[in-house]
Amino acid sequence: MASADGGAYSYSLTVFSPSGKLVQIEHALAAVSQGTTSLGIKASNGIVIATEKKSSSILIDDSMIEKVAVVCPNIGIVYSGMGPDFRVLIARARKSAQAYWRVYGEYPPTKVLTQEIATVMQEATQSGGVRPFGVSLLVAGYDIHRGPCLYQVDPSGSFWAWKASAIGKNMVNAKTFLEKRYNDDISLEDAIHTALLTLKEGFEGQMTEKTIEIGVVTVPTVEELTAGKEGGGTGRPRPTFRKLTEEEVKDYLAL
Amino acid sequence: MVGKDCVAIASDLRLGTQALGISSNFQRVPVSHFSRVCPSLTICQVFPITDRLYVGLPGLGTDVTTLYERFRYRVNMYTIKEEREIHPETFTHMVSSTLYEHRFGPYFIEPVVAGLSKLPTGGLKPFIAAMDLIGCINFAKDFVVAGTASSKLYGVAEGLWEPDLEPEDLFETISQTLLNAVDRDAFSGWGAVVHVITKDRVISRTLKARMD
Amino acid sequence: MQAQVQRRTFKSGMPPVVDDDDYHCSDAMWGSLAGFGSLVKGVPSFVIPSVPDPAAFLRLHTDDHADPSCKIKIQHGTTTLAFRFQGGVIVAVDSRATAGSYIASGTVKKIIEINPYLLGTMAGGAADCQYWETYLGVHCRLHELRNRERISVSAASKYLSNLVYSYKGMGLSMGTMICGWDKTGPALFYVDSDGTRLKGNIFSVGSGSTFAYGVLDQEYRWDLPDEEAQELARRSIYAAGHRDAFSGNTCNLYQVKEDGWQFIGNYDITKLHYDWAWGGSW
Repeated sequence: MASADGGAYSYSLTVFSPSGKLVQIEHALAAVSQGTTSLGIKASNGIVIATEKKSSSILIDDSMIEKVAVVCPNIGIVYSGMGPDFRVLIARARKSAQAYWRVYGEYPPTKVLTQEIATVMQEATQSGGVRPFGVSLLVAGYDIHRGPCLYQVDPSGSFWAWKASAIGKNMVNAKTFLEKRYNDDISLEDAIHTALLTLKEGFEGQMTEKTIEIGVVTVPTVEELTAGKEGGGTGRPRPTFRKLTEEEVKDYLAL
Repeated sequence: MVGKDCVAIASDLRLGTQALGISSNFQRVPVSHFSRVCPSLTICQVFPITDRLYVGLPGLGTDVTTLYERFRYRVNMYTIKEEREIHPETFTHMVSSTLYEHRFGPYFIEPVVAGLSKLPTGGLKPFIAAMDLIGCINFAKDFVVAGTASSKLYGVAEGLWEPDLEPEDLFETISQTLLNAVDRDAFSGWGAVVHVITKDRVISRTLKARMD
Repeated sequence: MQAQVQRRTFKSGMPPVVDDDDYHCSDAMWGSLAGFGSLVKGVPSFVIPSVPDPAAFLRLHTDDHADPSCKIKIQHGTTTLAFRFQGGVIVAVDSRATAGSYIASGTVKKIIEINPYLLGTMAGGAADCQYWETYLGVHCRLHELRNRERISVSAASKYLSNLVYSYKGMGLSMGTMICGWDKTGPALFYVDSDGTRLKGNIFSVGSGSTFAYGVLDQEYRWDLPDEEAQELARRSIYAAGHRDAFSGNTCNLYQVKEDGWQFIGNYDITKLHYDWAWGGSW
């Protein structure tokens, strides 16, 4: 029974193995590391998150595939791992952001939303009859309190703030690359280029505007912040997170 | 009431059952107090939420206590979870959604919020708002009123208030408004309390008022 | 000219409310006689709304106890008191008039000087009290002219009580004390619009009466010196003015002595409150 892969313990999610591991969570991480590479870089004036968008067949209409998702006007998420699991999490995150808006009249700070998602993911590691989510997430967002923030959430439900991080198939190489390239004063423009260069490492096939997706967080100016605050602040704020259009991606690739 | 870089919130101190006045010093938390109306015991208390944010809760006595405890709970949870002080705007929305949760069996309270909100520039902006008992928010640039004497308060405030009053002038204006309005309302009075919230301090004064 | 408003007579048993004299000399011709125009016949006349039940019609629109949202709010809410004692009769009242929760006035004269020997207090409908007690004054004077002596307090109060009784059920609202000095000495009668008429030593009427009674009953003695009696009345009105939302503002104080009534003074209830250093200690 007790074998190297966890044996009997590997099937019951909520039972620790004698070595203190929840083996199903490790399996979930393995699923993540089979997923396409995603990365995020926090710059001095914003954040970029990017991912490889690979389809298994040229017959698939890849305009339908969305791997960088907008949660609310100030937060976006990219993932590596299982697409369907990501879809469920995004639905939960969007609901959570709207519920927060309903109560407080503003969208949640990045950390609060990340906590909400992490809680959902943690519950899947402690409940009966479910499996952990097979995804890791990079959550990028802006809020007045903390400014731009980048978080990584893992299947275990743990999360950390990062200056730059990568998840998925090419994670180890990408992180090494980022460690070399990163500095605290990097501008958003430079960060976008660094992101593209990082993705290029170990990219299979041609990197085009069709095969990558990019999302950016921009830091609003004081004027932009003030504009949304008139009359009690119920006016909808200008989005601080947006996805780059194919044209924009194309332009960045051309440089 | 909004002033120049300051706001003021004031309330009378009467706790009464219809015509019968019961108490004029229902002190709670650092400062508090009462006024007025409705089916049973009625009062208005003014509570500090943060250093620069106060809420007044005129209405049914038992609901004043219950709602204040609810807000205290929710604000504390917010502060811990978000690791920051709640802003007046955010607090107002929180109060509003709490009230609307009881749309079909409401708390008999019409809250008034007054505070200084932080601007993105780092400055402070006066903020006031009032709600009806199911949470419809009224953001105002000048003044808001609530309670049994609200119609009378409107009249006096409309006449006395002017823009950009300095803290001491704002104190005089809000005090005279309250005192004179309350003197025309049978269910209000029995003393009054005023808080003027400025950048660096809150001036709280108890007023000598009519006692009949 | 007949007045424009349609008039109706009552069935037998009800008071005559139409004055046929108007046919010959109308109010318009002589100027308004304010309802006193038909003393010859002993009973004044009123214009009655042309509906099947005028009393119910009036109640429908003015009874804010039954319906707080009624359109017409008749002024009421009061504290009045009077007591007999060794030095005559002390009469004290507050001065607040409320319409709903609105304080319509803080300077109402709720003691009506019927004549130099008679005082009437006002609780309930302000207009009813003012009108009928003035009317009572007219008759007291007529009595004096006819009988060459002043009317007794008993007779005056009975006159009023009989008068309001004839309008019973039509919506009159008065709770009054008729105070005076006659051959029998100091006299005090309570008369209300239900037709009640009571002789007594201590009365208090109005929404704040319970509070006034509380103080009054505690301290009252027949042989109270004048000063102390006046102070007792002030304190009783103060207690009511303080506790009762519908009473307050100021206290008017009178004393009736052998040679007629005397106005003692007008006292601000809030000033009394702070003078007695009870401020904020309740």
